[in-house]
Amino acid sequence: MVTQLLSSGDVALAKAFIEAQGLAFEPGFDDLVGVFEGGALVAAGARAGEVLKMVAIDPAHQSGALLGELVGELVRLGRSAGHDGLFVFTRPAHATSFEALNFRLLASHATVALLEYGGRFEAWQAAARAALAALEARRPLRPGATTGAVVVNANPFTFGHQWLVEQAAARCGRLVVLVVREDRSAFPFEARRRLVRQGTRHLAEVLVLDTGPYAVSAVTFPAYFLSRADPVAGIQMELDLALFGQRLAPALGVTRRFVGTEPRCATTRAYNAAMRRVLPAFGIEVVELPRLEAGGAPVSASAVRAALLSGDVAALPALVPPSTLSYLLSDEGRAVRARLGGAEGRHA
Amino acid sequence: MKIARKAQAGTMQSSDLMVALEPADELSVEIESTVKKQFDHLIRAVVDEVLARHGVTAGRVRLTDRGALDYAIQARLETALSRAAER
Repeated sequence: MVTQLLSSGDVALAKAFIEAQGLAFEPGFDDLVGVFEGGALVAAGARAGEVLKMVAIDPAHQSGALLGELVGELVRLGRSAGHDGLFVFTRPAHATSFEALNFRLLASHATVALLEYGGRFEAWQAAARAALAALEARRPLRPGATTGAVVVNANPFTFGHQWLVEQAAARCGRLVVLVVREDRSAFPFEARRRLVRQGTRHLAEVLVLDTGPYAVSAVTFPAYFLSRADPVAGIQMELDLALFGQRLAPALGVTRRFVGTEPRCATTRAYNAAMRRVLPAFGIEVVELPRLEAGGAPVSASAVRAALLSGDVAALPALVPPSTLSYLLSDEGRAVRARLGGAEGRHA
Repeated sequence: MKIARKAQAGTMQSSDLMVALEPADELSVEIESTVKKQFDHLIRAVVDEVLARHGVTAGRVRLTDRGALDYAIQARLETALSRAAER
């Protein structure tokens, strides 16, 4: 029977057990469950938000039903907590064990595989394909023309983003702009996406979609949203990109990914470098475009946030298009500006 | 009856299934199964029969199946329905 491990004694047992199975015990979970047999722990696993982690089964019990029992309980608890879809990171060798539990393999790269339970990727893909088909009906892609993609957080959308999108769109037949869905930024997702739509409306070949949780999200790339350096960030960003190459790009017919050069942020620079390492193997060409500059500094969302924070409203018209400007000066934008002071992290 | 709240039933064990229900304006049935290729239509038929018998006309029904037999599908779905019903 699967039991919740709540007492400090049980948690200590779980820690020793999980570490004995060669996994790192990370505190910071919502549920920790285990299975005892004859007084000893033979299986343990945890859930942090929508991610299952530290799932370990005693080697002598690995051919049985323990994984199903354990993961079934974690899924039940996750759903009770309001998480419809759940992710698990595991070793590629264990991916099939999760597939037998109706998890779907999203991406596998080097030592890590990412799987999802709940069919959300299929739903994301269906919505993206329907939007592409609607664009195709309005404006068919020239035969042989390339579909490109850019991923933007657009926190908020600036002249820099607009310039990047225009440059990228000019270099392919169709451009998909994927707005990061993760709501960990100062500007909420709905507003960020709206401003991207408004700021790219003059480009008929541009389709604005969202990444779902499948790119630069708290699941695929948590380090993007944290200010501390994380030793596993390198593995995570490569997996994030493998997911783009294995799943997102094929779903959208994308064979070229555009990115702005990154002079300031080390994490983003490392992400760009990882892009050049990982994506060509999936037949995706990486095109780095120089950033738009104004007055010797890149026109970036962080410059906009800094101007807002210091109350330098006069600096804004040089940084953001009119659609973003009117949002920033609206009541809705003002509410976000009030929150900016308390935001933490580089991309918050 | 009406699916008035989120509810679930079942396990992830072999020969069992997990059912998740939630309120929705329209009726939808999503089936994930390790034996989907062979038995998707038969699972769907059992689900449709149970839903019709209980007069369920709206809601999102999601199943993840690991080769459950008909009576297990019926029992899990009926349990989830009674948990999702208005009290």
